[in-house]
Parts: sequence; C-alpha cells; structure tokens
Amino acid sequence: MTASQEKVKVQYDDQIVRMFFHATLFWAFAAFTAGVWIAFELAVWQLNLNTEWLTFGRLRPLHTNAAIFAFAGNAIFAGIYHSSQRLLKTRMFSDMLSKIHFWGWQLIILAAAITLPLGFTQSKEYAELEWPIDIAVTLIWVIFAINFFGTLARRREKHMYVAIWFYIATIVTVAVLYIVNNIALPTSIAHSYPVYAGIQDALVQWWYGHNAVAFFLTTPFLGLMYYYVPKAANRPVYSYRLSIIHFWALIFIYIWAGPHHLLYTALPDWAQTLGMIFSIMLWAPSWGGMINGLLTLRGAWHLLRTDPVIKFMVAALTFYGMATFEGPLLSIKSVSALGHYTDWIVGHVHAGTLGWNGFLIFAMIYYLVPKLWKTELYSKKLATTHFWIGLLGTLLYYISMVVAGITQGGMWRAVNEQGQLVYPDFVETVTRIVPLYYVRGIGGALYLIGFLLLLYNVYKSISMATEKPTDEVAEVINTNVKSEDIGTGHRKLEGMATAFTVLTLIAILVGSVIEIIPTLSLHKYVRNDVQVEPWTPLELAGRDIYVREGCYTCHSQMIRKMPSEVLRYGPASTIEESMYNRPFQWGSKRTGPDLARVGGKYPVTWHYRHMINPREIVKDSIMPNYPWLATEKIDYYALRKKLSIMKYLGVPYDDDTVANADLVAGRQAQEIADGLIEFGAPEEVRNKEIIALISYLQALGQKGGLSEEDKEGGSE
Amino acid sequence: MKQEGLKFFSDIYLTNTALVLFFLVFLGVGFWVFRSGSKEHYKHMSQLPLKKDES
Ligand code: HEC
Repeated sequence: MTASQEKVKVQYDDQIVRMFFHATLFWAFAAFTAGVWIAFELAVWQLNLNTEWLTFGRLRPLHTNAAIFAFAGNAIFAGIYHSSQRLLKTRMFSDMLSKIHFWGWQLIILAAAITLPLGFTQSKEYAELEWPIDIAVTLIWVIFAINFFGTLARRREKHMYVAIWFYIATIVTVAVLYIVNNIALPTSIAHSYPVYAGIQDALVQWWYGHNAVAFFLTTPFLGLMYYYVPKAANRPVYSYRLSIIHFWALIFIYIWAGPHHLLYTALPDWAQTLGMIFSIMLWAPSWGGMINGLLTLRGAWHLLRTDPVIKFMVAALTFYGMATFEGPLLSIKSVSALGHYTDWIVGHVHAGTLGWNGFLIFAMIYYLVPKLWKTELYSKKLATTHFWIGLLGTLLYYISMVVAGITQGGMWRAVNEQGQLVYPDFVETVTRIVPLYYVRGIGGALYLIGFLLLLYNVYKSISMATEKPTDEVAEVINTNVKSEDIGTGHRKLEGMATAFTVLTLIAILVGSVIEIIPTLSLHKYVRNDVQVEPWTPLELAGRDIYVREGCYTCHSQMIRKMPSEVLRYGPASTIEESMYNRPFQWGSKRTGPDLARVGGKYPVTWHYRHMINPREIVKDSIMPNYPWLATEKIDYYALRKKLSIMKYLGVPYDDDTVANADLVAGRQAQEIADGLIEFGAPEEVRNKEIIALISYLQALGQKGGLSEEDKEGGSE
Repeated sequence: MKQEGLKFFSDIYLTNTALVLFFLVFLGVGFWVFRSGSKEHYKHMSQLPLKKDES
C-alpha cells in the first residue's frame, strides 16, 4: 500500500473557465441593465414604451432570473471549474460534459430571455420558467453533477478542502429544491399548472425561494470565498475549524428557515419562539463565516489600501455580514409586520446580491484575468474607481429602499384615534416614495457604470497579453486516493466524497421533510363547512392573463391578520379562499394595493378604464397601461384542456362545464361586454382579453371561503 | 390564512424532534472539530489552496 511518489503533469482545463468568465460578463450586463430599467419604470412608467414585452410585470422576472441564474450562475461555474481542478489536482472529468454544461446553460438563459418577456411564466418567484425549460435545467444540472463528481473520484488530493464541501452542498440541494418546486402538469408546450394549490403551493414555493438564496447565492459563494480570499491574501483561512462548523451549521439551519421566515406574522407564539431560535442560530454561523473570511486577512491589512481585489472581498464579506444580520431581524414578528410587502425587503435582497454576490464576483474577476490570460491587470486605479462607484451605488440603493420601505409600511399601518386609517388612499403612500425610486435607480445606474469600467479594464488587460491563452500545467504527486490510509473521524469523511455527499443530502432532507410533510396533509385544515366555488372558465382565462402579465410583481392577494390590513382591505384571507388556486398568487410585494377582495368594489367600466389607463382614474398612479388587453383575443380553445387538468387535480368542475368550457366562457364574456359597450366602450372589446381579466378581478374575494366569524373581522 | 395552515407546525413532536436533532448535530460537529490531535491535520487542510504543485 505504498503511495507512489512519482510526479505527473496535469493540464487544467482553463478554456472552460474562460468561457464561463465571458458568459458572466455578458449576462451581468444584461441583468444590470434590465434592473436599472425596471427600477426607473417604477418612477416613470412610460419607460416600458407602452409595449407588453417591456412592462414591469414581465421584465422583473427577467431581471431576477438573469441576475441569479445567468450572472451569478455563470460566475459560480467559472469559479468552481477553476478552483476545483486545482484543489483536487486533476483536470475536469470530461471536457465534453463541461462543454455541454456551458452551452446548455447559455441556451437555457437565452430561452428564459425570450420566453419571460413574451409572458410564458409559472409566476413562482425565481422559478418562473415554464416546464420545457425546467426539464432542460434539470438535465444540464445532472450533467454538471456527473462532471463534478467524476472529477472528485479522480482527484489526486485525498482530502477535500472546505470549498469543495460547499460546492457539493450546492449541487445536491439545488437539484432537490428545483425539482420539487417545479412539479407541474402541462396544458400546452408553453403553459402548465402546478400540482400544488393555494397554501401548499405557497409553502413549497417559499421553501424553494428562501433556499434558492441559501444554496445558489450563499453556499457556492462561501466556497468561492474560502478559496479565493486565502489565494488573494496569500495566507491560509483564519480558522479551518470554524469553517467546518460554519458549513454544517449553515446547511442544517438554512434549509428549515424558509417557511418560518416567511410566515412569522401567522405562527402561534411557541412556534415563533422556535423560529426565533433558528433565526438567531443562523446569525451565528453566518457571522462566524464572515469573521473567518475577514480575519484571513490578518497581517495583510495593508493590501486593503493597495489591492482592489482585497477591497472588493472585504466589502463583500461586510455586506454578507450585514445582510445576514438583517435577515433574522426581518424574521421577527413585529419587524416583519412592518417590513413585509415593502421595499425594505427589496433593499435587503440587494445588499446581499449587489454587495455580497456582486462584489465577490468582481474580486474573482480581477483576480482571475491576469491568471487566465497570462497578463497584468490593465489598471488598478480603474478597478479602485469601480470599487468606490459600486459601493456608492449599492449604498444609495440600500438606504433609499430601507427608507422607502419603512416610510410606506408605517403609512399603511397608521390608524388615528377614531380607529380610521390615516392614509386611506393607497396611492398617497406611493407618491410619497416615488422620489426614492429615482434615488434607487441612480444607485443602480452607478453600479452599472462601475461594471462598465470593469469591462473596459478586462478588455484592455486581455489585449495586453502577449501569447495566446493556454491551459495551466502543474506537476503533482500521482496519489491514488483509494489506496491511501485516510485517517479517522472527520478527516476520514473529508476523504470520502460519496459518504460526504450522502450526509449532506441527509442534512438538508431532514429539514425539508420535517417541513414538507405537514404541508402534504394541509387539506385536512380546510374547513368542510366553508363553501368555495371554483373559478368559472372565463375567470380562469382571466387569471391566467393576470399571471402572464406578472400583476403579482406589484399586487398581493393575501390580507394579513392585522387590524390595519383588515381596515384597508377587509377580512383577513383564509386558506379556503385559495384552495383551488394554481399557481397561488399571494405575491410578495405591494407596489399597488392588495387585490384579494377587489371583486365588486368597482363597476366593470371602472376596471376597463383603469386597465387601459390607470391615470385616467387615479391621477398619480404608477401602474402601467395595458392597452393590448383590449386588442388581443381570449384563447377560448385552450379552456377545455385547462379545465380538464384542473378537474384532474381535484377542482370540482362538472363534466358539462369542462366539455363546453369555451361556450360557457363565451356567454359570460358576452354579458360583461354588453355592459361595457352600453357605457361607451367600443364594440371591438367583445371577446378581448380585458373582458376575461375583468371577470377575474370582479370575482376576487367573491367565491366564498369565509365563515360567518371570518366576515366579522379576522383581526387579532 | 397563513396561521391556519401553520397550525400544523404546532405538531409539537415533529418540531421538537427537529430542534433536538439540530442541537445534537451542532454539538456533534463542535466536539468533532475540537478532538485532540486534529490540529496538525487542520493546518495541513488550510494550506491546500495555497500549495502550488506538491501535495
Ligand atoms: C408597476 C406596478 C404595477 C403593476 C405591474 C400592476 N399594477 Fe395594478 N396598481 C398599481 C398601483 C400603484 C395601484 C394603485 C393606484 C391605482 O389605483 O392605479 C394599482 C391599482 C390597481 C387596481 C385598483 C385596486 C384598488 O383597490 O383600487 C387594480 C384592480 C389593479 N391595479 C389591477 C392590476 C392588474 C390586473 C395588473 C396586471 C395586469 C396590475 N394591476 C399590474 C401598480 C401596479
């Protein structure tokens, strides 16, 4: 069993790293531009040029998907491919799989960039892509996994460095999350209904949503941090022990934090205490990790002054600490009551994405360019300028949104001595924060400008290279991992990739199962004595239009059990009310008012005029115009299929309605159109999408689902 | 409505099992990491990214 000491040459695949590197830059530009654009759309709605493809509701998912999966995704892959080969002392398992991974991923992003503006969406945040793309994502992810685990198996370093663990956790968990959350039944090539409905859909979605942040934007970045910070500072991580605790604590707690975190306002007291314990615990490993990263620079603090890479890293870690401090804070009931649905959350997220993810990626880019192209960084000064502009942009963004959030949240809740709302007009709370939307837009624009400096710097650096970029060749000891004595305890575990992966999987599954099992039996909690009618075929068509237009990006349909909410919107929402809703439309942000009970509040003509031009009715509205709804025809033909699938999923439609769905819908549309035309709408409005949408809006809150007791209040 | 759905989390056994499990894992990792004789090993581990071509 003597390990041979013979040395071999390993040629790392750096070409694939360069490819992902380029893709990162390209998509970063797309993601940032889309972000700045929609930021200004909230201040100046006309920026959507009155076209459906550029409206806020359709571009916002494009922005989030581009930022998460395209910008961060490609950067993660570049970093993983670069660092793993070096840490494992071997070339990637298969060049072919690497290439398929790369091109497959770019095609997926391209498909997303085309389909989202066209309105093909599942409407679940960060899981908007329709089922054919979901299948592609799953396949490519599996290819990535095979490539990665194949590399692990062929490694020449018996021990897996902590960065590798974070990569393993990422690969395993993202697969589980993505598949479970996207299970849906197709009604056509471009449309599907999730198998989960209402509250179940909501819980699964937010279990996914929270953990997408944890396992796509946190664990891989921590892996990158544990590799690139020591590299850049040229000293080992401050405490390797701490990094182990950091790892296990993070993956164990994060996975359960999701729904708790979302749902504090509603949890019974003892459960809130439990949730608080988890949240406070999450604070500990997060800060442990931040401190570990920062203290790695001990004795190298002078680099902070001279090296832009270190500057970006220190700022990234500081933002990581800030965002992970704020997260648990926002999970506390009373804070969540104020912050939920407001721009505070948007600010919180961007402290994480712009500050932590973005800055760490920029650090990695500046670090890698000279290495990958055998050149020097063109200008450190320019990179430093980028740093300061980026920092200023991020701070402007964050501060403006926190102020906007707290201001608006406070106005929504303000109740005077007579028990009336101080700001009953929702739009008043909007106009108050519009100036802050400009500030935020400027912050984003600065961030984008900083990035353009990076592009120029990278371009110049690469053109300074004198030779063609090649793969780095390293001489390593040809260890056969399997034949070595691998020690005991955690040391042994670090040597055993399979065992390690299985343990990680167990860790995340325990949390998930404990959370998901209760949701599977949620139907038991639907009260039998409360009647709920399903949507009529026309209302269902309208609902699908609501989903397509992304109205949920600005409107919630979930009235919380708080006095001020009940005063403003009516009795608190119940489980039963959304029991047939696929996908659920609770929303997460109120740029406009809650719509759960808007049905019957206004006449149909009001809605007609409001949809065509909201400002004709509410002077200061920032809601976009939807004129195309009055020219595009309702897709009656799809309705039979849609209803039959709903029926299959358990919605109580009778066979007659399913078989004649188009006719039933046509009749209802006729009635509404007659009413509108009588009040002056043009004859052409018949059978147009706006009719279906109005029928849906008018049905909101009108389908039953409230007991007598609920109707009386529902406020605590 | 959320609260009704979440009454489930009042399945005290499930959630408490979860909490206990979590604490055990956390303590376990802590003990594991600080066992005697691990110092040299961790020193070796933390050098991994910095080494160039010998192992
Ligand atoms: C950019 C954010 C935004 C988007 C997207 C948006 N809205 Fe609005 N909406 C608002 C704002 C702000 C208001 C409040 C001012 C007003 O009444 O126009 C509002 C008000 C409303 C109202 C009146 C609610 C009430 O109680 O007075 C309805 C109905 C409505 N929106 C429906 C929709 C529908 C349907 C869609 C999708 C086709 C949509 N909105 C998309 C921002 C938005």
